[in-house]
Amino acid sequence: VSGTVINANFVDAIALPRIVWLRPNLIGLAFPLMKLLPARFIIRKALEKGELKPGALIAETTSGTFGLALAMVARLQGHPLFLVSDPAIDPPLKRRLEDLGATVHIVEKTGASGGYQGARLEVLEKVLADNPGSFCPRQYTNPNNPASYAPCAEQLAHATGGIDCLVGTVGSGGSVCGISSYLRLMFPELNVVGVDTHRSVIFGQSDAGGGRMLRGLGNSLMPQNVDHTAFDLVHWVGAAEAFRATRELHREHALFVGPTSGAAYMVADWWARENPDHLTAVVLPDEGYRYQDTVYDDAWLAAQGAVIDRLPEQPVEWDRPQDGDDPWAFFRWGRRSYADVMSEANKLQLSAR
Amino acid sequence: MHSAAATLLDTRPRTAATERRPVPSLFPASTTTVQQAGYGRVHAHHGEILQGMFYSGDGTLEHGLVTLPCGLYGTRARFRPLRSGPLTVEPRDRPRARVAARLTLDALGRRGWGGSIRIAGNVPLRWGCGSSTTDVLSTIRAVADAFGQVLEPEWIARLSVAAETASDSLMYPPEQAVLFGQRRGSLLQDLGGPLPRVQVLGFNTEIEGTETLSLPPIAYSVWEIEAFQPILGLLRRAVDQHDASLLGRVATASTEINQRHRPKPLIPQLLRVAKEIGALGTQVAHSGTVAGFLLQPGDDVPGRVRHAQAALARLGVHRSWEFSNDLSSQPELVP
Repeated sequence: VSGTVINANFVDAIALPRIVWLRPNLIGLAFPLMKLLPARFIIRKALEKGELKPGALIAETTSGTFGLALAMVARLQGHPLFLVSDPAIDPPLKRRLEDLGATVHIVEKTGASGGYQGARLEVLEKVLADNPGSFCPRQYTNPNNPASYAPCAEQLAHATGGIDCLVGTVGSGGSVCGISSYLRLMFPELNVVGVDTHRSVIFGQSDAGGGRMLRGLGNSLMPQNVDHTAFDLVHWVGAAEAFRATRELHREHALFVGPTSGAAYMVADWWARENPDHLTAVVLPDEGYRYQDTVYDDAWLAAQGAVIDRLPEQPVEWDRPQDGDDPWAFFRWGRRSYADVMSEANKLQLSAR
Repeated sequence: MHSAAATLLDTRPRTAATERRPVPSLFPASTTTVQQAGYGRVHAHHGEILQGMFYSGDGTLEHGLVTLPCGLYGTRARFRPLRSGPLTVEPRDRPRARVAARLTLDALGRRGWGGSIRIAGNVPLRWGCGSSTTDVLSTIRAVADAFGQVLEPEWIARLSVAAETASDSLMYPPEQAVLFGQRRGSLLQDLGGPLPRVQVLGFNTEIEGTETLSLPPIAYSVWEIEAFQPILGLLRRAVDQHDASLLGRVATASTEINQRHRPKPLIPQLLRVAKEIGALGTQVAHSGTVAGFLLQPGDDVPGRVRHAQAALARLGVHRSWEFSNDLSSQPELVP
């Protein structure tokens, strides 16, 4: 990211984050568009292995920033792109994707299972089957998604000489699992804190009972790329809290970022306050422009009932992840597998009844 | 006339006069007095701090390494040139040194010259300390010296790789730590200074040794290849900040990746011992048998060494040696 070189293209120029101090012991990794790292690396590796031929179709299901990153990379590399999305996609993003040459297909009904995501997967598989030679990046299962974060780990290692704690939101398992896998080669004691949201299945909650207002983290299906054994702590953050923290990042630090950044920042700020002798880094995955009419609009926040006067000082500690609903909670995951945690949690749930 | 001491350039900063002298494509033989003999000398290394694959400037991947200089061992060579006649090497079992001498003569425009090369040294064979490379490098230096030349490391690297298929980075002085492409003899990255100073307790994990030049390159996984980027980032930090503890973490990480592909006996136990004695890290010869615990100079080194030696003895390792990677602080032990 040296400002003294002329980059080959805009993706290379902005793929890595800017690193900024947020507290004396907390640094932010402010990505313009974090998903450029996996999009670029997955495409590069697929071309190297011959899974993707030059100029062949790329198809993927996404309603978020991975689609935008893919569209930028595909445009620069000369690949047509087919994206399957749901009605939650915001119109400006859809227009931007189409301007980059992508075909955006919106599914109107939820699938047989897994909500909209299930329906999107059904369309995706049909497009892939109908187009021989097409390639699907599959960010939730492709190991090159987490593997793509080595340049970010390099930047952190060179800039800091090592951190004590990494905090980030978990959606596909790419960024936090990827960065921490590399850093732990050199710093096995590194603490890893994952940030999820309620009614996401990633760390054991059920997705029943309504959708999630906070987007860009969490999942209704379990992503294979989530390595549960990476996590020391898991936090669940509600939408109102995340939105408020996003605005505070802007007001206090002039950091104009999206709501996943706010959720991660709230948790990281708490961890840094609790551990003043440790250096924490927090992943801030995207910029605020997409959210000007939502998170950055007080009227929209009020209409959603997502206004709170102040952030909670402390999270509530849960003894099991599956049935809590406190707006900000955490659980000591302890680098265990999902199966280990859930079997213990289910015993606790039974004994509580 | 030059003195023998003036040929010991390998461990000293280069003077301005010798720094950027290119090798002429054809050396004008008539204008220079041929010396009676040329001398070359080179220290060994103690395996690597880091070995893996690295992106070069144009984005292609290359095998590369960063060695740990070791002044305990070294090789010297003497070359007596003859305007014509055979080119002989003693001991006679150093064919690579003979090839290197021939290539160097050719590079200096002395095609058809002969002479005698005499090599002496104490670098153990098959330990991964660069014994073959020290033969080749000292020979190249001796041949050049006989014609009043001091070759640039980049030139020596090319001649050395041409003579032995893969080469270590010993042509670079310890003041200039480099990431070196051992297969092509290319400078992948100048780390901008010496490695941070560490005290090393070295030992051998196997008695038999390994034939290093016959080993095929390791087929690293995608994740491992990517992992060398942050490891190199931390190494650059260690050099920039003179931070020995980070050097230890780099060495241990590289040791662990190497262990997945070329498992050495005792490594899991050795990594535990390193923790127990408070070592900064564990380094290995990635294509050899020596290993070392890196210790912070001045931080109770004698106590940690005693503790380590007791633990090593329990693992059946009864011989060890101590050195610093700062060769200027050591008595000259090269014969």
